[in-house]
Amino acid sequence: MTAVKTKKAIIAVNRFGLGATGDELFEAGQDPEQWLLQQLVSPVFDPALGNTESAFITIAEIQSLKAKRRQGDANLKSRAKGPTVGQEIIMPYRQRFLKDSLNFSVNTKTPFAVRLLDFFSNHFSVSSLTHSLTILSPTLERDAIAPNLFGKFEDLLIAVEQHPAMLIYLNNEKSVGPNSLTGRKARGLNENLAREILELHTLGVGGGYTLEDIRQLAMAISGWTVNRENKQYQLGFEFRREAHEPGVRKVLGRNYADTGLDQGQDILRDLARHKKTAEFISYKLAQHLIADQPPQALVAAMTKTWIKTQGDIKAVVTTLVKHAQSWDAESKKYKTPREFIVSAMRAINDNKVADQNLLKVSLRALTQMGHKPFGSGSPAGHSQLNRDWTGSDALMKRIDWVNFISKRSRYSPPFIAARIFDSQLPPLTVKLLAGAESRAQGLALLFLCPEFQYR
Amino acid sequence: MADINRKKLDRRSLLKATAGSFVAWHTPGALSAPVKKPKARPKLVWVILRGGMDSLQAIFPHSDPHLMSHRKRLVSPLKDSAYDLGAGFSLHPALQELNSLYKQKQLIPVIATESGAKTRSHFYAQDMLESGLPDVDIESGWLNRAVESYQGESLAIAHTLPIGLRGKQRANTWYPDVLRPAKEDLYERLQVLYKDDQLLSERLAEGLKNRNLLGNMAKIKRKNSFASLAGSCGTILADRDGPDCAMLEMSGWDTHQNQVGHLDRQFKELDSGIARLRENLAEQWAQTVVVVTTEFGRTVAENGTGGTDHGTASAMFIAGGAVAGGRVQGRWPGLAKADLFEGRDLMPTSDTRQWVRAILSQHWNLSSTQLDYVFPAVKTMDTQLIRPISKSVKAAS
Repeated sequence: MTAVKTKKAIIAVNRFGLGATGDELFEAGQDPEQWLLQQLVSPVFDPALGNTESAFITIAEIQSLKAKRRQGDANLKSRAKGPTVGQEIIMPYRQRFLKDSLNFSVNTKTPFAVRLLDFFSNHFSVSSLTHSLTILSPTLERDAIAPNLFGKFEDLLIAVEQHPAMLIYLNNEKSVGPNSLTGRKARGLNENLAREILELHTLGVGGGYTLEDIRQLAMAISGWTVNRENKQYQLGFEFRREAHEPGVRKVLGRNYADTGLDQGQDILRDLARHKKTAEFISYKLAQHLIADQPPQALVAAMTKTWIKTQGDIKAVVTTLVKHAQSWDAESKKYKTPREFIVSAMRAINDNKVADQNLLKVSLRALTQMGHKPFGSGSPAGHSQLNRDWTGSDALMKRIDWVNFISKRSRYSPPFIAARIFDSQLPPLTVKLLAGAESRAQGLALLFLCPEFQYR
Repeated sequence: MADINRKKLDRRSLLKATAGSFVAWHTPGALSAPVKKPKARPKLVWVILRGGMDSLQAIFPHSDPHLMSHRKRLVSPLKDSAYDLGAGFSLHPALQELNSLYKQKQLIPVIATESGAKTRSHFYAQDMLESGLPDVDIESGWLNRAVESYQGESLAIAHTLPIGLRGKQRANTWYPDVLRPAKEDLYERLQVLYKDDQLLSERLAEGLKNRNLLGNMAKIKRKNSFASLAGSCGTILADRDGPDCAMLEMSGWDTHQNQVGHLDRQFKELDSGIARLRENLAEQWAQTVVVVTTEFGRTVAENGTGGTDHGTASAMFIAGGAVAGGRVQGRWPGLAKADLFEGRDLMPTSDTRQWVRAILSQHWNLSSTQLDYVFPAVKTMDTQLIRPISKSVKAAS
């Protein structure tokens, strides 16, 4: 490998990937751009863990157990000392998914694809606010995002907005057209999902939509709801015609005939292809991967590809990878807690499943660092800007976690350092690694050095 | 100095000394000439409620004839148990501590306030509320500009610095621990490792300082709840060397559906947070002002799912031992259809920044030039909000 290629491989593996593991740096060094582009295939998760449909079976189990407990409590007239429903079903279920996701990221052979999955999973953020959402939220990225990750954005968008986790999280599940059959009797419209589709998922703030566009979109997607228990049909998304607001809808100046389910889908397709959406998501993606203030020429090139291909995500990502300004020598992005934790785990990983305790402690550390999985608490998701992760307390939490994990590797710090940076670390860092008082301390210093914190 | 030299012999104490000296490097004169702060410095705590608090649930005009027609399902469960504040207003029944403060003339609820952003986007409105500038600058928060003018110290109870405390003045962050801290030696080596990286070296110094200040706090149960964070905040502020102001955040106010029960829990949590803050501030409470604000209010009418959507005007609370309270402030705009903002939201009749300007003027004695630097483009509310006694305490110290 030439020195130039080595430098480019380090960027490919750290900036675009999740940090080097095993021989990855060497593999990427053959042709760094090609190494990234051949990764653009949908990640596939272990189906044994469950999916959107089976989530409803779990939710039903929780409800029946809760009812049974209430009954039991009434008979006993005091609360039994046994485990709660949360301890018995919900927490283990959540832990299973979160551990699996973390382990998946640590062991993946397509780290770039996982980075993009994480990006869109955060773009379409859902939070585990209730028991049902705790069970459903991990299935959104697995069943709606991953399969559509490298296709057209409009297909991804529709799959996400029709996923039960999103419909429940942003209250569309119960939104009813005021003039629909159901609406004339009870309940009404809820604008929440429609608003966030425009503000966060497609056009972005300042994307030129009005309050009336929000209402019109809300009416177009009224009746998009969730079948939770009728086993005659597939559990999950359901279009309920009797709750759908009848009539023509006008969004961004264009009329949409009342074609039932298609009405909302047609609007989403147009939103996905819209110039503002192309600009907004190209900018956000470049900001996520390259720099808080991404190069304008790069964003412009991505936007152009988006418009030309009507939102082909793979084509847009390819434009980004092939653009010279994506490969600036300076690492400008401070790793998010998740990127940081995954990259450190990959560095000392031996191609085997990480042990349960390590995963558990690391997940807890993520929460402590303010990066709780499915827990941003906001439909805007977690921040992707440096300043939101560089607080002093967040750094102390990184040190605490590194202090824990650095005791778990058999390898010497210089060996791990070469896996990630070849021989490109600055002399001061090399000197401190070599002079560390223990293997664990050397590794801790490696994971905490500026070159590892930035990507 | 002799004391520090002796400490250098003791490896365990070394960290404390170095952490302290880091602060000294960044704060000229802090170590070389230790200044004893006067005991009674007026304290300021800002609580930001993220998500848009439904003020009409917190404080509602039980005598307004339109109230029930807009939100019968939301108001009915509260009507009988709410606290009567007089002047036609009621306080949510979960706000027990706030009611007791009101009775002791230590609380001012202000009605129909806005953050200055006529937008119903959470993110933009929060940026506006925190920045306080007519053109939002997310690198400059109003509390930072205020504490800069006051030449005081500040702390955010958060993992990373929120916009409200970003700016020229150094501000610390603190949040409870879980993992065991590393050995001192690692921190010392990190200080060397970060010597060419200004950001990381500063963050490390701040982090070490806060850990030393707050070592035992981590054991508190339910560490992350607002009530507990507010309690820790009180403990930190009560310290003689503690900061002059602090920022606390509480989220969960975006109540689009079934909000009656949810808001009941939210108000309870907020209320016990204020109580814990007061308890732990102890005698410092007499010199304290707590300001509670949110980015916007919610629709006057309930929506189709037992909640409310993003609106415009909300309310704020001004509490504390230094407050001249016991009355509801602000002008009530009315709830008739014609009185509403864009036909759906409570009409703002004042700006939270006007009230905070009055507080900064009366509590911290900021000059009008300084107030214009903190909040340009708005006028100071001409109302006495702070008891004159707090001024005399300040003057005496």
